[in-house]
Amino acid sequence: MASRARLFKEYKEVQREKTADSDIQLICDENNIYRWTAHIKGPADTPYQEGVFQLSINVPEQYPLVPPQVRFVTKIFHPNVHFKTGEICLDILKTAWSPAWTLQSVCRAIIALMSHPEPDSPLNCDCGNLLRSGDHRGYRSMARMYTRLAAVPNILH
Amino acid sequence: MPTKRILCKYFKNGACFKGDACEFSHNWSDPESNVCMYYQSGNCAYGRFCRYEHVKLNRQEGISVGKALPVQTHINLVNREVASSSATPRQGACDVEASQDSRSYAAANIAWKEPSMFSLNAADEQENFPYLPADVGCSVDSASSSATNGAGAVMKYNDPSEEPICALAAAGRCTRGETCPYLHGDVCTMCGKECLHPHRPEEREEHKNQCERNQKRLEALRFSQDIECSICLDKVLSKPTNAERKFGLLSGCDHPFCVSCIRDWRRTSQPQGSGADTVVRCCPVCRVLSYYVVPSVIWYSTPEEKQEIIDGYKARVRDIDCKHFDFGNGKCQFGSSCFYKHAYRDGTTEEIRLRHLGAADGNTVIAKDVRLSDFLGRLHLRR
Repeated sequence: MASRARLFKEYKEVQREKTADSDIQLICDENNIYRWTAHIKGPADTPYQEGVFQLSINVPEQYPLVPPQVRFVTKIFHPNVHFKTGEICLDILKTAWSPAWTLQSVCRAIIALMSHPEPDSPLNCDCGNLLRSGDHRGYRSMARMYTRLAAVPNILH
Repeated sequence: MPTKRILCKYFKNGACFKGDACEFSHNWSDPESNVCMYYQSGNCAYGRFCRYEHVKLNRQEGISVGKALPVQTHINLVNREVASSSATPRQGACDVEASQDSRSYAAANIAWKEPSMFSLNAADEQENFPYLPADVGCSVDSASSSATNGAGAVMKYNDPSEEPICALAAAGRCTRGETCPYLHGDVCTMCGKECLHPHRPEEREEHKNQCERNQKRLEALRFSQDIECSICLDKVLSKPTNAERKFGLLSGCDHPFCVSCIRDWRRTSQPQGSGADTVVRCCPVCRVLSYYVVPSVIWYSTPEEKQEIIDGYKARVRDIDCKHFDFGNGKCQFGSSCFYKHAYRDGTTEEIRLRHLGAADGNTVIAKDVRLSDFLGRLHLRR
């Protein structure tokens, strides 16, 4: 089983580099190597900074020939993330997937997507429309509000 | 000797797939080849005890002496062998007998003298060289005895280049050392064996080249050990099965993959309407388009080496009949770019004529194979 062997390799790599990349924390399910959880830090100079977002990663059997299914568990206001389901619209998770990508690099790509929203292919139309109409201030304040509400739990309590 | 006059060994065993197109003879009356393959490529571990003939095929008649018989004699011997064996059913024991027969004949015929201390008995020989099969030991015995009978004194060579060197030393170990009656060759600096004949410059050169090539290959193999596949993240040459321990070279870039990984990836079908075909044909790392994957056991370090591997692969594959073309019965989608052989059953190769058409926009395009029947097949005539 090629996918299992490869996931073990990635697991070892993650254990080794735990301290190197503090923005991404990848945790494998104890009983199932095909289920992972990631915690990513919102990038600086974006409305998402200070937030920690949880991603759920579902790895299919044919991995790495097909991309993993990744979605946001934490609510996020972003044009390319579905507000209700957390589905992510990112080309490398769909058509532009390449087997050379790892779970770690997928998380890095999602962080890059957070700092560079793509309003022309929105999954969250309200957010996309705000950006497309040029209301950057409106987008930023909405995004910051949801980050505070959902992704920075310690502030309220 | 043209190969058409040598009996095909596959045909002899009743299974030659090439049929009439075989470059070897399918006529029972033709002799089979008894030439040692290992001797051709440099070193035969059996040395002068080899049951096969040590003849350099590309050398002219009469240069080689000793066990290396002149070509003409060799043919005679083979004929003799076939004649003697055709009377009895050809089985293992009979084979040995025949080759022994030819060996003693050879020894007597060219007066090849064994020094007396060399008439070791079979058991002794076995003890010294445990890797020699028993029948070789016997044949040495008979050969040397008949040689002793045939000619009396120690053979003197007129030309020093005719004197054979000790094959055991050349193969790496001669237990007799100083007492060995045979000439020991000079030590090759690369393989460390005493295999350079002091008086045959061309043979020395050939061996040095061979050693250099081997050395280079070993070096490349060692260098390839640590290279990882970017898809399975494993070291390619540490995979469990032999078939998996191969690199897949991409024509467009220099990223290493296992041949199985990259082929699996290129086979995956992508969702429709996304320029899908080109995505899988690009390198997963750098996304440079490559049209084909070349399997290779070693990884390369220079573009020339890569080209050499690719050329070698293409040359090997060119001799294999294309299964899509199927001797003209099928249709190969790769057309003139196919790496495999497009030949009809009678041996003639396919002739490809490309039709160039001027398109409406002024560019020249290559016309696809279009037949009227393609349109007629889809035509529904109204009654």
